[in-house]
Amino acid sequence: MEGNLQNLFLGFSTVFTATNLFYSLIGCLIGTMVGVLPGVGPLAGISMLLPTTFGLNPASAIILLAGIYYGAMYGGSTTSILMRIPGEAASVMTCIDGYAMAQKGRAGPALAIAAIGSYIAGTLSVVGLMFLAPPLARFALGFGPPEYFCLLLCGMVVLGYMTGGSVVKNLSMIVLGLLFGMIGIDQMTGYFRFSYGIVALGDGIGIVPVAVGLFGISEILATAGQTKRPVVIKPRFRDLFPSREELRDSVGPIGRGTVMGFLIGIIPGSAHIISTFVSYALERRISKHPERFGKGAIEGVAGPESANNAASEGALVPMLALGVPTGPIPAVLLAALMVHGINPGPLFIKEQPVIFWGLIASMYVGNLVLLLLNLPLVSIFVNFLRVPYKVLYPTILMFCVVGVYAVNSSLVDVGIMSIMGLLGYVLRKMDFETAPMVLGVVLAPIIEVSFRQALAMSNGEYSIFVQRPISAVFLVGALAMILLALKPLIMKKKDWRERLTEAEKSN
Amino acid sequence: MTIDRVSGTFFILLGLFVIWERRVLPLGTTGNPGPGYFPLLLAILLILLGGLLVIHGGHAIALRSVKWPEARTAMAILGCCIFATLGMETIGYRVTMVLILGFLFGILERLKIWQVLALTLSLALGSFWLFDTFLKVPLPRGGFGF
Repeated sequence: MEGNLQNLFLGFSTVFTATNLFYSLIGCLIGTMVGVLPGVGPLAGISMLLPTTFGLNPASAIILLAGIYYGAMYGGSTTSILMRIPGEAASVMTCIDGYAMAQKGRAGPALAIAAIGSYIAGTLSVVGLMFLAPPLARFALGFGPPEYFCLLLCGMVVLGYMTGGSVVKNLSMIVLGLLFGMIGIDQMTGYFRFSYGIVALGDGIGIVPVAVGLFGISEILATAGQTKRPVVIKPRFRDLFPSREELRDSVGPIGRGTVMGFLIGIIPGSAHIISTFVSYALERRISKHPERFGKGAIEGVAGPESANNAASEGALVPMLALGVPTGPIPAVLLAALMVHGINPGPLFIKEQPVIFWGLIASMYVGNLVLLLLNLPLVSIFVNFLRVPYKVLYPTILMFCVVGVYAVNSSLVDVGIMSIMGLLGYVLRKMDFETAPMVLGVVLAPIIEVSFRQALAMSNGEYSIFVQRPISAVFLVGALAMILLALKPLIMKKKDWRERLTEAEKSN
Repeated sequence: MTIDRVSGTFFILLGLFVIWERRVLPLGTTGNPGPGYFPLLLAILLILLGGLLVIHGGHAIALRSVKWPEARTAMAILGCCIFATLGMETIGYRVTMVLILGFLFGILERLKIWQVLALTLSLALGSFWLFDTFLKVPLPRGGFGF
């Protein structure tokens, strides 16, 4: 406890410099814009802006990128409430009651409660992250290749199960991502694999062109030709204050959303999306007036918004403690650390205390900055929604191209981005989730090397994976997930995942 | 033909392609896997998953009911990405972006000429200044040094 407080003091001394405060502020502002604009999710936003951090020191860079990440989570609620268009996927549930409140002239309080809930959830989740990540990292120091292989295998099965839609389709996406991750030089033997004489492919396919292609370009392609001008409700600052009753009704949902969101956030998959659905369902179930849900219940805004912000910070726990991303956004943040010469993994917190604790402290500051800036500036952010799409998408396309090129100064990366954009566009039409594929690309080299090193350790005996207790636990976890996934096929009954997917599509 | 069956067939063919392409890589043994081992495992897994999609995909939506109203515009935008890939190092970032943005704003979206000029020049030159000059991330200048 005392050690944590001392480290937190170190973190605040890192953040409370004019430069880092400035980057935290800028990150939050850009993140909010990214969250507000439909079609530019946090993943594409962070990937596109990654090159802008190259000239910064690692602490400033990660503070800026993390600001964009949780800023986007805040910003996503604005379009959901004012236009019934989720700025990003985790804001889908906010649309229901948030927009209903806006139609009743209560857009201001809905936005205020979303911001307050996000602030509380964000801040409390940082406390959780602060206390959970260091001991988890210490525990993971005992992990060898077999444990890492089984952890990643379990993580991928959980990812396949927890991402919405068909498990088979999600697993196909993971395997496809792993196959793309095989391209390049084999780390253990130096063989060139599937590179077809293109030297630039020797280092493999980068996460940034894949992420920007699948999430940025494919979104532009899928929404091309859109001419509809959105109707935007513009709230005034004086209308933002919620009533005493609305505040009282929000306390419980914010608390429950925070705890649930943080815990769900640690699990691989679309955790921040799932947490909002679970939170909404729970609030509706325990409400004395469930009939108000869907017609403008403040609990339907407070719970999901708190849950998605808590989940987005919970997702950083495995990334910072183990060096294992649980979703595409932590994967890009991990790539950002690597670009700055930092090796993620269990030793990260010990070896890079300034960056880790600086990031933690910046989150406390960033959440406060978002609360203080977002509400007064909401009418300004709303103006971004008035930019016609035919002006917006070429601008986003330009940033995609320059952002991807700038990472390695490589046009091959721009080509990969284009191919991934086309693939993502077709896959969307075929009803596939592309997030598992991104994670497959990132994890492919780690999982393969762990597998081969584990076999080298055991002289080729596969029993090493079940003899070591931690790896055996992960394998049992993976098996349990597979059985759960098979249950609806055997029982011929809709499970919670199918109901969730249907609810998501109906909004 | 449903979308799941089409996707499943694609995955099976892709898996077979990977198995064929992998033949030049040493496979190693089960106890000491070589560089071709993991790709082979993944290809087999992809074929199995593709097979499952084909078998269970009968109830998915039909391919012909998938609408592609934006496909022409999407292909034009994708063409711009390919043009950037092929042309940026030859004609430079600024010229490439002026051509791409000019095409998108002027021809595809039919904005007024002054809007096209203002947006194209400000975005192409502004992004060059931001990344290359201000952030010191080098962008290609092309054969003309521009």
